[in-house]
Amino acid sequence: MTTQALDRPAPRKPIDWWRWAGRVFLTFLLIFTVLPMVWMVLTSIKSQFAALQYPPQWWPAEPTLQNYWRLLDPSNSVGQEFLRYFWNSFYVSLLTTVIGVVVAVPAAYAFSRFRFPGRTFLFFTVLLRNMFPAVVFLMPLFLLMRWLGLVNTHGSLILTYLTFGLPLSIWLLKGFYDNIPIQLEQAARIDGATRFQAFLYIVMPLSTPGIIATSIFSFIGAWNEYVYAYTFLSKQDSMTLPVGIQRFFTEFATDWPGLMAATFMMSVPVVVLFLVLQKYFVRALTEGAVKS
Amino acid sequence: MAEVVLKDVVKNYGAMFAVNNVSFTVADGEFVALVGPSGCGKTTTLNLIAGLIPMSGGDIHIGDRLVNDLDPKDRDIAMVFQNYALYPNKTVFNNLAFPLQMRKLPRAEIDKKVQSAAKVLDITHLLERKPRELSGGQQQRVALGRALVRDPRAFLMDEPLSNLDAKLRVQMRSELKRFHQDLHATVVYVTHDQLEAVTMADKMAVMNGGFLQQYDTPANVFANPINTFVASFVGSPAMSLIPLEVASNGTQTVLQSSEGWELPLSPINARKALAASTKKVVLGARHSTLKLAKSAVPGSVPGKVYTVEPTGDITFAQVFISGAVVNISLEPSVAIRPDEMVFVEFDQERIHLFDGETTMALTL
Amino acid sequence: MSIATGQGTAVLAPTLKSKRVGPLQRIYNHRADYLYVLPALLVMLIVIAYPVYYTIELSFFKTPPNLQMKDKVFVGLDNYATILSSSSFREVTMNTLIWTVFSTLFAFLIGLAAALALHREFIGRGVLRALLLIPYVVSAVAASYVWKWLYHSDFGVIGALAVQFGLTDKPINFLDNLHTVLPSLIVVNVWKEFSFAMIMLMAGLQTVPEQLLRAAQVDGANAWQRFWHVTFPHLKSVSMVTVLLLMVSNFNSFIIPWVMTGGGPAGASDIWITQIYNIAFGRQRYGVAAAYSVILFIVMMTLGYFYVKALTRGDESRAG
Repeated sequence: MTTQALDRPAPRKPIDWWRWAGRVFLTFLLIFTVLPMVWMVLTSIKSQFAALQYPPQWWPAEPTLQNYWRLLDPSNSVGQEFLRYFWNSFYVSLLTTVIGVVVAVPAAYAFSRFRFPGRTFLFFTVLLRNMFPAVVFLMPLFLLMRWLGLVNTHGSLILTYLTFGLPLSIWLLKGFYDNIPIQLEQAARIDGATRFQAFLYIVMPLSTPGIIATSIFSFIGAWNEYVYAYTFLSKQDSMTLPVGIQRFFTEFATDWPGLMAATFMMSVPVVVLFLVLQKYFVRALTEGAVKS
Repeated sequence: MAEVVLKDVVKNYGAMFAVNNVSFTVADGEFVALVGPSGCGKTTTLNLIAGLIPMSGGDIHIGDRLVNDLDPKDRDIAMVFQNYALYPNKTVFNNLAFPLQMRKLPRAEIDKKVQSAAKVLDITHLLERKPRELSGGQQQRVALGRALVRDPRAFLMDEPLSNLDAKLRVQMRSELKRFHQDLHATVVYVTHDQLEAVTMADKMAVMNGGFLQQYDTPANVFANPINTFVASFVGSPAMSLIPLEVASNGTQTVLQSSEGWELPLSPINARKALAASTKKVVLGARHSTLKLAKSAVPGSVPGKVYTVEPTGDITFAQVFISGAVVNISLEPSVAIRPDEMVFVEFDQERIHLFDGETTMALTL
Repeated sequence: MSIATGQGTAVLAPTLKSKRVGPLQRIYNHRADYLYVLPALLVMLIVIAYPVYYTIELSFFKTPPNLQMKDKVFVGLDNYATILSSSSFREVTMNTLIWTVFSTLFAFLIGLAAALALHREFIGRGVLRALLLIPYVVSAVAASYVWKWLYHSDFGVIGALAVQFGLTDKPINFLDNLHTVLPSLIVVNVWKEFSFAMIMLMAGLQTVPEQLLRAAQVDGANAWQRFWHVTFPHLKSVSMVTVLLLMVSNFNSFIIPWVMTGGGPAGASDIWITQIYNIAFGRQRYGVAAAYSVILFIVMMTLGYFYVKALTRGDESRAG
């Protein structure tokens, strides 16, 4: 390095190898990430016959939207089922999200603001829920749901989704509340607000971004959930998308283009939600783990 | 406006006592500064008066009411916070209106009161802005306005000037003082800056380690600091303190340095020094009472110049005496250089003596 | 020991009055605070405390296959013995370890490299970041189907590409081969979660003080040295949390192996979780599955301990 610098009287900007390595790496990573999705879309606009060819049609010779029409047409049985699953997923995810936020907001606020005995212990008990896999809860929860008479209802899913949604929601929201200066509430209380009014009028509006972030997370989590839905629901018409699409494409020989179209449709809501609210999503993901 | 009375107020977190048996009375219309280094319990004391944190013991009266168990909203006080605590999602107008809205005043009256408070503070043109669009000084005024807009029994201020730059701070200091005089407001003012306390307050309460050290007028605190902590905290530069030992050289009572020299004491000072619990005595002197000599004169002790800081009209010299740093103010014409050996002359009338063991001032 | 000065009041340090409060008194003083956490705690209690307790209890019983739990028989540690002595336990544990360690390692390394490459501002950075994050957002079920199609033994695009580039003469049967199945699944898993590590580390990179990097540059450190001596130490705690979260989620992942291979062929991609599911809902031996779950709890609790430790660094100092 030093000799090179001596050889050259006029200092020229050297090639930044690191930067180039980074670009090459990112290009490969992008291909790795995007290619499966591209192939999914390409397959979904092929006919069954065109998909099952070797070597494959790299580009569909006769692109068709027929697979999508079939899924979205309520007049045939496939479309009926698909739309029903879609609605079930939406309804379960939405309720989970709303109830989760309503319950998590006061809890997160308390964990952020109050120093009551047992606070740390309770908080980490809540967090530790994240450490347990869904599968080990399956059986006792299944029995519990049977006892509560909730098997084959969406109530069983909502209740279950709350348990893995809540710890995360509480953790995320606590991070947001931690960042709202306590003096704002103190000022409000001196200005004549009760503790609850201070929370309602001052803290709540300020924590809107946190609530949005938390909602996205719990919605996506519920939308994508598979294990409980797979176990708790056996009736066709109560199934959610991840379980449902599996059912009706493996009954006979797999209709890959149809499956890819369904997979695409299933991914659209979460990807759109993510793209629109990306800022909140990223913030929520990293909240708590990174302290500046 | 009303008086504020604290009696044996205690706040502890387990074994940690943030505020320990603090009692003082803020008379109606009085401006009292709570001063002390960070962590001394002054802000905690203010929060206890406001009711923002629960007390562990003692009583607080505001006016004729015992407020121990009252919520902050029912104590009828106003508070200005160090970071202003302006509601970021509300406009300046709504920030000022909030305390009135909470008290369910009619709309027209709210409007009138906000406008008049804004006029007093000269922030009328800012009413439609959000706090983040304001400068530090403007935010400060809005915070003050939010306190002014209703007629509280007392104002509590938590370091309201410390986030301002030096020039603005001096300007706001005089405005605050003026505001207090005009309103005859009862003010409890927390600051770590003793200069603010001395210049603005009718009385100052010096705190350290959760204890109230001294509660008196700034002049009295300055003239008669109760212990070495207060002595070293109040005044700029602070009082110089030299740890010595009291001894007798046969005829006279003297203060003895480990460096070998002796400082004879006047009869009154001798009696004070002999009243100390042990032989250890701390000699205190303010910079303006000390004189510098190039050669030994009676009542002087040797020292070595450490730094010389000219400030224009006064030059401050720091001199090592018996291991302690002593501040002396000099005429700018006096020519001395660092590392020069000098003699410092003490005025027996104006020195302070403290018990080396208990740190308390020695008096008769 | 009070000394009067002038006309002012002198207040001296009085002796500490003991104002200690018992724990019950403290709980009573804070009773209103618990109201805020109560709804959350209630839900957690029903759906977590009870299942955990029940799982531990069941692990000591032989259970009837019909879920009539009143007919269960106490068998002590038999279920544990069954698991530990079973022929497949070693193989499945090995698979679990390979799955967890390699998934975590590659997801973290790729995520780190991507975070570093994306740290510098350039046109299209936001779009790129969003694209890279999509696999993390879509459901694992969707990912599994897509990759199952990509890996398809006859019409899979990966096999076809390999032939096209002359790497093999006929398509590889990725998911039906004992040696390729687990690595193939790990690729899917890494595809799905590397961007999580990337996002975490990107956030971590923002906490690296620019001034320190400049100072290091002035001191003559090259790019690698700056990374090693300045950037990396700042990423330590984020990396800890990221690795732990990845490990936990990989340890617990069920969907990818379940949907793609169901643990096959011949158990070559069976991991603890799929095994537990099979024992419980395939063979209906709930007691054994419960005992398996308890073993998993213990491993998770160990990881959980480190997770909490990594997280609490700094949290307590903020409490005041």
